[in-house]
Amino acid sequence: MKKTIVIFILAAFGYFLAITFLAPEFESNRNRNGVKNVYLDKTVSELKTANTVTAIVVNFRGFDTLGEVTVLFLAATALGSILFKKRHHIGERTVMLPASSIVGSGAKLIFPAIILLGAYVFIHGHLTPGGGFQGGTIIATGFLLMLISYRDFSISHNILSVIESLAGILFVVFGLLGFMNGGTFLQNFMGTGVLNDLFSGGVIPIIYILVGFKVAAELTGLIYTILHEKG
Amino acid sequence: MVGSPVLLIAIPLLAAFLVPLLGMLWKELVRIIPGLVLAYLLVLSTSLYLEVLNSGTIVETIAGWSAPFGINLVFSPLTGFLTTIMTFIGLIIWLYSYRFKRNVEFEAAKKYFIFLMLLVAGSVGIVITGDIFNQFVFIEIVGISAYALTAFYTGRNSAEAAFKYLIMGSLSASALLIAIIIIYSQLGTLNMAEISANIHNMSPHYRVIAMIFFVVGIGVEAEIFPLNGWAPDAYTEAPGPVGGAFAGIVVKAGIYAMVRMMFTLFDISGPMQILIVIGMITLIVAETSALRQEKLKRMLAYSSIGQMGLVLIAFGMGTKAGVFAALFLMLNHAIIKPLLFLSGSHLTFNTTDKYIKEITGMAKKMPVVSVLFALGALAISGLPPFSGFWSKLSVLTAAADENMILIITLVLIISVVEIVYYFRVLNRLFFFSYDEKVSVKPHKPSFNSMIAMFILAALILLIGFYPSSVTGFIDLAADDLLNTHDYIDKVLGMIQ
Amino acid sequence: METIEVIRLGVYGASILLILIGLYAVLTKKSLIKIIIGLSIIDGGIHLLLIGIGYIKDGTAPIFSPGLEGAASRMVDPVPQALVLTAIVIGFGVTAVALSLIIRLYRHHNTLKIDEIKNLKW
Repeated sequence: MKKTIVIFILAAFGYFLAITFLAPEFESNRNRNGVKNVYLDKTVSELKTANTVTAIVVNFRGFDTLGEVTVLFLAATALGSILFKKRHHIGERTVMLPASSIVGSGAKLIFPAIILLGAYVFIHGHLTPGGGFQGGTIIATGFLLMLISYRDFSISHNILSVIESLAGILFVVFGLLGFMNGGTFLQNFMGTGVLNDLFSGGVIPIIYILVGFKVAAELTGLIYTILHEKG
Repeated sequence: MVGSPVLLIAIPLLAAFLVPLLGMLWKELVRIIPGLVLAYLLVLSTSLYLEVLNSGTIVETIAGWSAPFGINLVFSPLTGFLTTIMTFIGLIIWLYSYRFKRNVEFEAAKKYFIFLMLLVAGSVGIVITGDIFNQFVFIEIVGISAYALTAFYTGRNSAEAAFKYLIMGSLSASALLIAIIIIYSQLGTLNMAEISANIHNMSPHYRVIAMIFFVVGIGVEAEIFPLNGWAPDAYTEAPGPVGGAFAGIVVKAGIYAMVRMMFTLFDISGPMQILIVIGMITLIVAETSALRQEKLKRMLAYSSIGQMGLVLIAFGMGTKAGVFAALFLMLNHAIIKPLLFLSGSHLTFNTTDKYIKEITGMAKKMPVVSVLFALGALAISGLPPFSGFWSKLSVLTAAADENMILIITLVLIISVVEIVYYFRVLNRLFFFSYDEKVSVKPHKPSFNSMIAMFILAALILLIGFYPSSVTGFIDLAADDLLNTHDYIDKVLGMIQ
Repeated sequence: METIEVIRLGVYGASILLILIGLYAVLTKKSLIKIIIGLSIIDGGIHLLLIGIGYIKDGTAPIFSPGLEGAASRMVDPVPQALVLTAIVIGFGVTAVALSLIIRLYRHHNTLKIDEIKNLKW
């Protein structure tokens, strides 16, 4: 009975969405000359950053990214707070079966390559697709692989928390440095270099590398907290 | 130049990242630093507000890109007014919980204060930002800190309340994203001022749909019916001061977002039926539910929702007097409701269920706290000479100006209902004798929490006896909200 | 109908379908984990929709790699891509908090059935 009602409601809602998004006027009224042209233009001429998405994420809408990094930080803190117990049992794992030696040595073999790939992705975030969030996630998957293939693989929570705090602090500090020379928060205050060079884009690659460190540390911390949670 | 509005966001975020590091040096710092930050925010916000009143709205650009290309912050008489209230309440909540959390371990206390600080920072961000997607990000920051604060006590049913809140919150965030998608695809911009300047070029069909999704998306934080199902549980299960923070800070930011969306983004002038209808339903449902509650905090939560309904009705009138009344109500509610939550959580300190019957006769054991609670109860039900009276009076006069008889009748009836359920509590509190079997063990309030409550009580009396001390500020804020063209010119004027 | 039109309807239709599937899971499923999976599916649909509105005919990625410096007019809208990055991260944070709440609820009640966790009124 309940399912029928739900299906009717969803059908109505789906019809509502369909007439909104599938109607031809949604496409014909679409504004193709909004802020995007300015972004595409200024990215090349002023920021000298090849990847426009990176330029938007870190510079034009960098304030969003600061908020986004805060959301991740909050999520990691919230996880610790919600799963907080008076007596800690950290160290024991609910995953009981040991991984086979093939998985173990394979993981050891791939792990450095994963870390290297992640670092490459976030260092070249302003030139090629990718960036801090993507690179950080790749690094965290490397740690996830190690955590599930070695039962006693452990990471110091304090080191993770120092890395994520330092990266966050440096992000805000680089933002505040933008106030130099009468600029504004998060302003690009460094020389921008030549388009498509590794050292180009001024402050953009630096901030994105910091984001990469922060995301990697936070995601690893999240995985670690949940894995070591005894249900 | 005393500082820049962006510091209102940047400093708390910097401090939030710093606190875990400093906590490793000296454990007391995790309690002190958030307090210093909140005090700094209050000072900065007040001085910026005074500057704004003298020299006009400050529009702050970020990353050197003026609107509509970059994100910009708008610190106007209206946003400055709300920011000052929010940072003030944040500081009061910190002062109250400074020792309240003393018996909680270091790790938990650290996280509590980080969440509290980011809750305030996120709410301030919702208010001062001039970009809809940035507002979405701040709504999520507030959301996650609120979920975590709701689930703070591991012993209660708090996880359930937080889960409920999270489901509603993330569904509504999805609705907000859909609204942003529609607006971006049709207008090609995310800046509020530019959207407002171009909104009449959008086809009416899409305007209505985007508005519906916006109302759903913001409604959860603004506690409108039927999106407020989370509120009573979250208020009940969260620690006492957090209930005060929700009522004093988060809801105000939600209402602001709603009103800014209606008045500025969609540029509607004149009476707004949608706000009046939503407000009336919220008011009636919430106040009648409050009448039936047996738990003190649940009752306060429903009362808080009801007040927000009243605020929406007053905004919905769309006139200067209506907006004035609504802002006055928001100010009073932001001061009175935290007082009720703070004193109420002292009265029910030693009980987990927080039943009203458990505080029978507590006035004889905890006279000061009971008197403070009574002051808050009398003020919020709109009795003279307390501050709540003047805001209710201004709602009635605003409605009378527009000949809205229905609203006048409704507000009067609801006032009677409010008086009934608050007096039910006061009656038990003062005129029943203390009974060891039903009542809870009294608890000695800490010194700093008494100071926090006395400051709030003093403000209630001050506004009650000298309403003219705040009406001037509210008047300017109301003008600011109604003047959409001025807002657009101020924000976009810099590229011309 | 042109191919581009078919693709457009396909992408929008798929995202609407994903949103509906996710909502169905949230509204009818009894297990808390399945509800969270539903929320993630809704998120996925919305992200697809957001990417979809940025597409233009014969568009390329908005990256000025060597050899593509003058291709700005053919590039797809980069703004939705930046927004979707933010939205994904936020969705991830909310999901992580939700999962930790589920762990807490499981610890308390020893069950994930929503019917059996009813200390508060739903």
